[in-house]
Parts: sequence; C-alpha cells; structure tokens
Amino acid sequence: MLLNSIKTGTKKGLETTWLLAKVMVPVYIIVTIINSTPLIDWITVLFEPLMGIFNLPGEAAIVLVLGNVLNIYAAIGAMKAIDLTILQITILSIMLSFSHSLLVETAVVKKLGFKVSHALLIRMGLAVLFGIIVGRVGALI
Amino acid sequence: MIDILREGLMGSFDTVYSLAIVVIPLMIIMQIAKDYKVLDKISNSSRFLTKFLGMSKESTLPLLIGIIFGLSYGAGVLIQSAKEGDLSKKDMFLISVFLITCHAVFEDTLLFVAVGANGYLLLGTRIIAAIIITFILSKRLQISEDRLKERVSEN
Repeated sequence: MLLNSIKTGTKKGLETTWLLAKVMVPVYIIVTIINSTPLIDWITVLFEPLMGIFNLPGEAAIVLVLGNVLNIYAAIGAMKAIDLTILQITILSIMLSFSHSLLVETAVVKKLGFKVSHALLIRMGLAVLFGIIVGRVGALI
Repeated sequence: MIDILREGLMGSFDTVYSLAIVVIPLMIIMQIAKDYKVLDKISNSSRFLTKFLGMSKESTLPLLIGIIFGLSYGAGVLIQSAKEGDLSKKDMFLISVFLITCHAVFEDTLLFVAVGANGYLLLGTRIIAAIIITFILSKRLQISEDRLKERVSEN
C-alpha cells in the first residue's frame, strides 16, 4: 500500500514537473529575450505608475498578467527571468496566491454555483488590497 | 542572440529543477495522506474552524480537502456531498468563499518559496484573509436569516 502511494505520488510529481516545464521554459526564454530589447523599457515606463501602488517595478506587470491569464507556473517563469528583490517576489507571490489562473479556476467556481463576478471581485480585491498593504509596509522596512 | 538564448535555457532549466525537487516529494506526501485517509482522521480536531465560520460539522472534510489538495479536487468532493444532501446551501456558499481565496496551500506556497518568497508571510496572509472574509459573510448571512425568520413569525 505504501509503495503504491509512493509510486502514484512520484508519477504525479513528474507529471506536474512536466506540466510546469512546458509552460515555464518558453515563458522564461521569451521574457529573457524581451528583457534584452527596448520593449522592456516601454513596458517598465508604461506600468510604472500602476505597479508603483504595490511598490513594484513596472515590468512586474508581465508577471501579474501571465499569472492571472495562464497560471502560477508561467508567473514564476517570468519572475525568475526578471531581476527582482526578495520583497518584490514576496509581494507578487501574495498577490498571485489570491488571484491566479482565472480562466480555468473561474470555470470550477461556476460549477459550484457561485457567481463568477463575485468570485473575481473577491480574488482580485484581496490581491490588490494585500499587494498595497505588504508593498507599503515593506517599503518602510 | 545566442547568449540570450543560452541564458534563457540555462535559467529556465535551473528554475524547473528547483521546483521539481519541491513538487515531487510534496506529491508523494500528499498521495500518502490521500491513500491513508489522513484528513478523515484530523477532520474531527478541525471542527473548531468550521464551527467558528458558522458551518455544519459535515463541512469540515470538504473544506480541508480543498485547502490542502486544491480547488478542483475540493469542488468535486463538495458537489458530491451536496448531492448526497450533507451540506446546506449556506455551507456550500461559505466553503466556496473560503476555497476561492485559499486552496492548494502547500503546493502554491512551496512553489513561491522555491523561487525566494517569504513562505510564512505568504501562507499567513492567505489563511487569515480567507478566515476573515468567510467569517464576515457568515455573520451577514446569519443576520439576514434571522430577519427572515422574524418576518415569517410576525406574519
């Protein structure tokens, strides 16, 4: 029984690793390429005012968009490809843990008979709220 | 250009590796917990949480499953329990609110920790936020239920 659990667990772990690699490797490479072109400067300047609310650099917008539209794996790939501090990574992680994979998970939420607009409001609201709190408090430390 | 590609490949493999050494052991532990029905055993001692959140006793197990194993698995169990009539509409609503905010906590937290996030802050914020929001909504539901009862008894 225990051996079977370990086998199934290992299989699931490898499947998850493959799943995250499939998303993460292309995202990481594309973001690394963008990072070496002037495009990154435009993105930085464009999102600076918005991301500044969370004490994040403008290019962190890429991480939030990928995490919400695709999934956490894509967000982590982008996070590693951009140079971020531990505080910035923690702020992004907190925001993403509330609000991620919105396309897939909203479908699950619907099955539960929960209003989609309410679910989105709760998730994005908490992400913004705690992004501001942790960002602001972190800026003081 | 070659340098950038090489940097991208090396960097992404590095990241995948650092996540794989977290994800594979985690999946083994979770599979053991699932097969040995560990959650059934701890669901009684977690009753205080569902009580505090104004849910029935039957809500404890689906809630724990969602928190630990994730939204899709949790939703599956939840829909099944609702079909069998173990959960009221209020339970369903409150469990959904909690799980929308807070699910698959070990996997998500460990993935972010593997790339440098502060895990205590991350996990603490998420659980506390879920408890607060579920608690507030549960109180509000209670108030509107009470009002409804008052109105019915008045008539």
